[in-house]
Amino acid sequence: MRFQDAARDGRAIVYAGIQADPLVKRAAALLADATPAQRVLARAVMNGETTNPDGWMATFPSLFGSSIPIGPERARAEEILAASLAVAERGEQVRSQFRGAIVEETTAILLARRTGDAAVRRERRILFDGVRAEIHPYDVTVERDGAAEAYDCKWGARGINDDVLHQLDDARAHALEEEAPLRAALVVFDAERSCQVRLERLNAPHAGTAIVPLESLDRLVEGPP
Amino acid sequence: MSPATVAEAIERALAAYADLTELGEEIEDEWSYVNDLASAWRDRLDAVIADGARAGATLDPAVDAAIDRAIDEIGRITDPHRAIDWLSTFPQVTLLALGETP
Repeated sequence: MRFQDAARDGRAIVYAGIQADPLVKRAAALLADATPAQRVLARAVMNGETTNPDGWMATFPSLFGSSIPIGPERARAEEILAASLAVAERGEQVRSQFRGAIVEETTAILLARRTGDAAVRRERRILFDGVRAEIHPYDVTVERDGAAEAYDCKWGARGINDDVLHQLDDARAHALEEEAPLRAALVVFDAERSCQVRLERLNAPHAGTAIVPLESLDRLVEGPP
Repeated sequence: MSPATVAEAIERALAAYADLTELGEEIEDEWSYVNDLASAWRDRLDAVIADGARAGATLDPAVDAAIDRAIDEIGRITDPHRAIDWLSTFPQVTLLALGETP
């Protein structure tokens, strides 16, 4: 098993620009430290129709209510709201790309807290002897001898599909054949309940693929999911 | 007007959620997923008011307003794809406003 950079085609070059956007970095850094409720705030605002901050603060009394003291938690919630509104204001097509990039960056930040920056890579293909390589790269990989991990990232549960589940499961199975364990996981910035509903409708094997939903993102720091 | 109860707020939320579900159903390929998703979250919201004492509890006005604000947000949606996103998001927002874990 070996890892390889994805081909730098036109799409990859455009997307690399989005991944490097300071707003993506800022939002992901905030979300890596966020509470589950703050992450739901980000999801709602980045999916939202309205961009009035006062309206969103009123929608989340547990984050911005009069009983919530001024302090680091409230300050982070305010920063998440501001960053999420900045994403929402980019327009529908662009915000969709930003949301995906933010989930990937958040995943990479959380993984690096466990493994160190050097082990965490982006947009990498995984090659196995005698197996035709998948065209699509994995969003995030952890590349360590004997403890490799491969992640795909989705903004919503609806993004879970048979293709991505097959790709993750195939990688895990091929790695096992080479006696090079690979943990495969899907990070979804959506509620576990919604992920379960989606998974029940799909036919691809996923028993060996960990699902990391929004409320459990911090598991990435604790150990391989 | 007397303050709303938890049950009344959830009833309002579920009525708005039904409209959102109908919009999401316009994506024919996702019809079953839309209905399974909506059913799963309706069950979760119904569970909050299964406890009679909780159902009859009076809402803090800020929480009542938060739920109205969330209802207003989904009422603005016209794109069925975005409606599907909100079929997951809206119940989470509503539950958090009520102090529940999604």
